Amino acid sequence: MADATPFSPVILKHIHEPGSHTIEHYQARGGYETARNLVGTAEPASLVKIVEDSGLRGRGGAGFPTGKKWSFLAKGTGKPAYLAVNGDESEPGTFKDRYILEKDPHQLLEGVILTCWAIQSNHAFIYLRGEFILGYERLEAAVREAKAKGFIGKNIFGKNFDLKVVVMRGAGAYICGEETGMLSSIEGGRGYPKIKPPFPAVSGVFKCPTIVNNVETIAAVSHILKHGAAWHKQWGTEKSPGFKIFCLSGAVKNPGVYEVPLGITMREMIEVYGGGLIEGRTLKAVIPGGLSAPLLTPEMVDKCTLDYESLASLGSMLGSGGITVLHDGVDLMSAVYNTMRFYHHESCGQCTPCREGTGWLEKLAHKFHGGHAHSGDVDLVGEVAKNMRGRTICVLADAAAMPMQSYLQHFRGEFEKRTHEPAHVERLRTPRDEITPTAKRESVQHGAPNVVDVGMGMDRV
Amino acid sequence: MPVKTLSPERLKRFHDMVDDYPNKRSMLMMTLRLVEEEFGCINDEAMEIAADLCGVTPAHVQGMVTFYTHFKRSAHGKHRFMVCATLMCALDGNTDQALKQIESKLGLKPGQRTQDGLFSCEKVECLADCDKPPVVQKDFEHFCSMKGKALDDYIESLLKLENKTSAEYQNSSGVEMDLRISVLPSHYNFEGETESGARQFDDKDPYFKPGEAPRTTSVPPPLLTPLTAPVADGVNMNGAQHG
Repeated sequence: MADATPFSPVILKHIHEPGSHTIEHYQARGGYETARNLVGTAEPASLVKIVEDSGLRGRGGAGFPTGKKWSFLAKGTGKPAYLAVNGDESEPGTFKDRYILEKDPHQLLEGVILTCWAIQSNHAFIYLRGEFILGYERLEAAVREAKAKGFIGKNIFGKNFDLKVVVMRGAGAYICGEETGMLSSIEGGRGYPKIKPPFPAVSGVFKCPTIVNNVETIAAVSHILKHGAAWHKQWGTEKSPGFKIFCLSGAVKNPGVYEVPLGITMREMIEVYGGGLIEGRTLKAVIPGGLSAPLLTPEMVDKCTLDYESLASLGSMLGSGGITVLHDGVDLMSAVYNTMRFYHHESCGQCTPCREGTGWLEKLAHKFHGGHAHSGDVDLVGEVAKNMRGRTICVLADAAAMPMQSYLQHFRGEFEKRTHEPAHVERLRTPRDEITPTAKRESVQHGAPNVVDVGMGMDRV
Repeated sequence: MPVKTLSPERLKRFHDMVDDYPNKRSMLMMTLRLVEEEFGCINDEAMEIAADLCGVTPAHVQGMVTFYTHFKRSAHGKHRFMVCATLMCALDGNTDQALKQIESKLGLKPGQRTQDGLFSCEKVECLADCDKPPVVQKDFEHFCSMKGKALDDYIESLLKLENKTSAEYQNSSGVEMDLRISVLPSHYNFEGETESGARQFDDKDPYFKPGEAPRTTSVPPPLLTPLTAPVADGVNMNGAQHG
């Protein structure tokens, strides 16, 4: 698809302007006009059609087509429909929603208004993670401003349509970023994910039909309904149209958020937007879509373009768009240990394969990190990870197992370097006169100049 | 009855929320934030108040508070440092440096609280600002790139606020925080218990505005057909054997 107009940021266009979070600033740039024009006049089904035609895919991680999700909403159930906006951005490496919430909350609210009209819902929840302090304050203020102007509340825009928008705060649980986990939390319980089916579109929050979308998706909806499906499709690839915000972190010169058309190369993202790697370092690996995405080796990075299909073909995923660059000095075993500690901490504990499996992986990773793993542990890691996948209610177990499997697949040598035979096994295998007093082992040199240890110790408080 | 209740102004904020939620239980997350604000942390008393307000049992609230790690608990210090220790912040030793600085100023290792209960330090998972490591939160203040002089100055300003010097803490070691819930709250006075032992939780909610219909969870009507297996005609159920 040829680019009709050169791309310039859409969602993040105004974040650097002072006062961009106020309603005056938003209205001065034509804000809420789309909602005023469409709510109450446009046929809701036609809006769903536009979003479906635009090919917008969910920006939270799974990449499910948004319009299709909306069209699955159960109708005629006699129950109210809900919209739940997922702002529980907890995937490590992702910080795009923070910018939308803190710098431009009104475009999110306009997206919420339009989405609620399209799916004919009168009640929207926006669930933010508890750690977003400024984001919560700004969004609350934005809701108050919009209520005062009559854009939210009873009879919005004078079009005989009522809309409640409720901002909720989580309290530090990664699992609440999973859609059914978030719905459990909205219902006032622990953030336990629920078995699907029934999918939330049929029976979600309070057992009513619910649409769950990411903050970035909803923000994009307000622009798509303003400019049309064809406008959105002029960027990106055929199966991944449009633009996406990528969060660049790690060993690059200019980390930050970058909104780009889908389908640019990973190299361009790192070299042009990120300014290349920090001085004196070379690339070791890239985590392309948040901590749970399987990592890419430098050879795969050369082949990779930033769209859902390319990353899937490389055995990884675009996920939430959090790209982390690891340089050659990073001790991979400590990175594995850090990653597994995260998942063990955040497992909600409902399903045994996840609750126990993440613990096993953390302990095994700790052994490799400290250099006291046995040679059999390499296979054990792969075995545990394999048995965790696809056996749980939600995908947290997969999210923990996938990076572990990819570390093992691409950097098996690093695992093996840290192992040694236990003394009694070694003694059985070696002829008596060749026994050396100490088993061969390599452990991480703490404080060594060239190795970066990110394991952060066993205590996890 | 709980020993204390919310201040009128926060109770009003609670009542303002009522219309936004379909039932009282779903207000629990936000109510816990209110009680946290009121008491400075969520202690046993606060949990009972939240339970009464939202019409759930204190046990359910305990389950919530122990599940969500961001709620401030009585075991935490008055000033609670949370240092992000996930991979993106830990790369290149950023988290380590922040933790070391806190330790050198306050004598605290992660998971510890000073003996006077003023400061505590803990490692937390990703705080979603990964491009500016290390990320540190102090209660409800968020800081990025928080190391070196910025962190030192900030700790000094807190020490000044509390009329302390860092020398007072450097020689004493911190105490480990115990985030478990005690079996019985110390103030527990058994008031409101019935002879059968359990506290009564009914829908007569003292916190709702006068004149407003209480939001009750309706009790389902008794079943029209009793849940017993159908019995064929002519069978004596009194145990007598026929024939």
